[in-house]
Amino acid sequence: MEYYVVVLLVYLGTDLLAAWGLNLEFGVAGVANLAFIVTIAAGAYTYAVCTLGPPAAMGSFQQYVGGFTLPFPIAVAAGTLVGGVIGVLIGVTGLKRLRPDYQAVAMLVVSLMAATIVSADTGFLNGNAGLGLIPAPFSDQDPQVQRWAYVAIVAVCCVGGYLVLRRFTDGPIGRSLRAMRDDEYAAAAIGKDIVAMRLMVQAVGGAFGGLSGALLVAFIGGWSPGAWNYIETLALLTAVIVGGMGNNRGVTIGTFLIAILILQGVQFLPQSINEFRIGLREDLGWIVLGILTIVFIWTRPQGVIAEKRPRYGGSP
Amino acid sequence: MSETGPILEVRELVKTYGGVRAVNGVTFTAARGAITGLIGPNGAGKSTALNVIGGFLSPDGGRVIFDGEDVTGWPMHRLARRGLVRTFQLARVFGGLTTIENLLVAAPGHRGESAWGILAGKRYWGKQEEQLVLQAREMLRSFGMEAKADEFARNLSGGQKRAVETMRALMMRPKLLLLDEPMAGLSPSLSRQLEDLFLKLTGEGMSLLLVEHGLDTVERICGKVVVMAQGKVLSEGRMTELRTRKEVQDAYVIG
Amino acid sequence: MLVQAIEAIGFGIATGAVIALGAVGFSVQFGMSNILNITYGSLMTLGAYAGLFLIDRGINAWAALVIAGLVIGVVSVGFHRWLLAPLVRRGTRAFALVIVTVSAGVVLQYVIVAFAGPDAKSYGEQSGQTFRFAGFLLTASQVTIIALTLVLMLGLHLLLTRTTLGRAMRATASNRILAQSCGINTDLISDTAWLLSGALCGAAGVALAITTVSFDFTLGPIFLIPMIAAAVLGGIGQPYGAMVGGLVVGIAGELAASFANPEYSEVVAFAILILMLLLRPRGLFGSASATRRLTA
Repeated sequence: MEYYVVVLLVYLGTDLLAAWGLNLEFGVAGVANLAFIVTIAAGAYTYAVCTLGPPAAMGSFQQYVGGFTLPFPIAVAAGTLVGGVIGVLIGVTGLKRLRPDYQAVAMLVVSLMAATIVSADTGFLNGNAGLGLIPAPFSDQDPQVQRWAYVAIVAVCCVGGYLVLRRFTDGPIGRSLRAMRDDEYAAAAIGKDIVAMRLMVQAVGGAFGGLSGALLVAFIGGWSPGAWNYIETLALLTAVIVGGMGNNRGVTIGTFLIAILILQGVQFLPQSINEFRIGLREDLGWIVLGILTIVFIWTRPQGVIAEKRPRYGGSP
Repeated sequence: MSETGPILEVRELVKTYGGVRAVNGVTFTAARGAITGLIGPNGAGKSTALNVIGGFLSPDGGRVIFDGEDVTGWPMHRLARRGLVRTFQLARVFGGLTTIENLLVAAPGHRGESAWGILAGKRYWGKQEEQLVLQAREMLRSFGMEAKADEFARNLSGGQKRAVETMRALMMRPKLLLLDEPMAGLSPSLSRQLEDLFLKLTGEGMSLLLVEHGLDTVERICGKVVVMAQGKVLSEGRMTELRTRKEVQDAYVIG
Repeated sequence: MLVQAIEAIGFGIATGAVIALGAVGFSVQFGMSNILNITYGSLMTLGAYAGLFLIDRGINAWAALVIAGLVIGVVSVGFHRWLLAPLVRRGTRAFALVIVTVSAGVVLQYVIVAFAGPDAKSYGEQSGQTFRFAGFLLTASQVTIIALTLVLMLGLHLLLTRTTLGRAMRATASNRILAQSCGINTDLISDTAWLLSGALCGAAGVALAITTVSFDFTLGPIFLIPMIAAAVLGGIGQPYGAMVGGLVVGIAGELAASFANPEYSEVVAFAILILMLLLRPRGLFGSASATRRLTA
């Protein structure tokens, strides 16, 4: 049971980082990045190839590029950085001014394409089988200490990440990003460099995704294309939409509701459901998630907690 | 940049739009510190010309010289930063921001938006922000909208949104303001107030170029007026003269 | 190598026929309602499973195709009428609509899994004998599908050009308000378009199941991408373009699979779609006005 609490906390923390990144891109800046999961995957894979050591050293049963044995903080930092870079690359493909729904589909396709290429090229990141036996920090400690130390690390990253996040979502830049979200042309007409702002949020958002992926993979120990299905982006997007687009508190609540309550909560459904059909509990989770997204878009698109804007100076 | 000479020079501007040469070799100048009118019958290409000058559309030919600098083909945001600001015919407010934020976001050169400013935080740009807030509140007061300062802009009425659009353009301290039918749909008294505002602004050194259908307004506030028809400049001069010229009368009947 | 290429082209025509079938339906939906209906993929899956249900009860595969097609047609009409159209009326933006269709697709997919299970299914041996002609190597079922697709495409063409209904459909798709003012019941026309395109969707699903050895709940979504690629390539909203697009995507995919890695046939479809969207969103045959519908 205690182990399970640890798992939930780590998942919550990494999901928060990812959701904050996606919210910055989509809720605040209006950049519909449905390929966001790729930045998470990039962070995870980067951490993996930075800590696994050379393929040959492990008997070559996994093939991959890189293969360094860097310490945990550096590997995580590398994952964050690569996440940001991938974010920018995705951003560049999204620069063509397409209708928003076309953009969305294009981004989904980018996400699928990335997954397919990684799956197919077995030498790059071990293809469909993915990478395993990824080392976690503190492995020389007592397992319980290790687990809770890891929760502490994730918590610190979340706190730090949140402080950095607020720099981008609040203040003058937050206003300009929201202006871009609300009306891109009008924002350009008042002198905002749309291209620069878009790439900036995709770099920062991508970095958050990379950090999330790196922290997650160090905990789980393995990562494969199955882990970064395009559906995962949908889960994050639901968290952002249901929680409340554009505001960090709403997104935090949304992440808790979606990632924890629903996707993990289904584990607590009676075992009898799984006897009816294996894996039915997870399927139910996705069904509930999909329905929830549709319901919220229909009835309350602003989310559980609607965005509130600050007041300036005295009241009238 | 020279302090004399016209604020705007348009040379042989061409724009093909929807398969038609909407702007077909347009040449005119707009004087510094003056209000220049751009009139003509429907379909003359006035709005298209304004859109090209303002950077919303890219020209297919010709040159745009602004404040002595060739700005042909510059993107909208670059023109705006340089001092060439346009407003939209249908007011485009940022619905997810409050009224006062719509003004604050237009302020040019906010330190809080530079890379360093973002990371350094409030200590770095706080002072500038305070001053901007004062400036914005003052402008809201002069337009009678201070009570709506913290209201989401999407909840404003159509007329209020137009006012926000104008205020936002003014917050940018433009050298040349492009206006597309600013009086459309306004009551005569509001129209008059806006005209007085424009005259006051040019008194302070701003230049205006406006596309306008209300010929009375044009006569009252414009210095030079440029008449367009079928994508070309037909005539220019003061409104009173133009009224008497035959080709102008014909254009309005036929065009 | 030439033999290999020609064989691949032959496979490409067979695959292309199914892709064209689906792409045309998708294109019609977009043309009529201006919605990118991502649920289309899961609806194809539903068609395939509906076909399985019928085949397991002894119904002939081709009859099952027709029946399943009609079922999915009805489901599609309901889906549009009671979920998508109301959202559009409330001013939901295009992006949010895509999210809705993606979510609906996920829900449908997992409902199918909940009932039918995640393991692979099969229609059993449907291929029939193999023919070899002009260097192509095709099975009877593949030939039937190609023939079926040609018949349906011809039927659609005749419908659109020779019948009052078809004219009404084209009018509604091109300018809804104008069509209304001409006395056309645009809601009814819309429903009809969704019924027909939904039927094509279901038929495509069954056709896919017939041509693949086995399939599971990911069948639809996997093939949706090549279909969207075909539709965009041909000019979205243009059924004729989608037909040509289907052929191109099918053949290109098979050539890639034959000469490179079989996995790469998917990537080819992705690449075509991305390249088209980035370089020429209106497709090969789309008009300039189509571009304006696509660019922001």
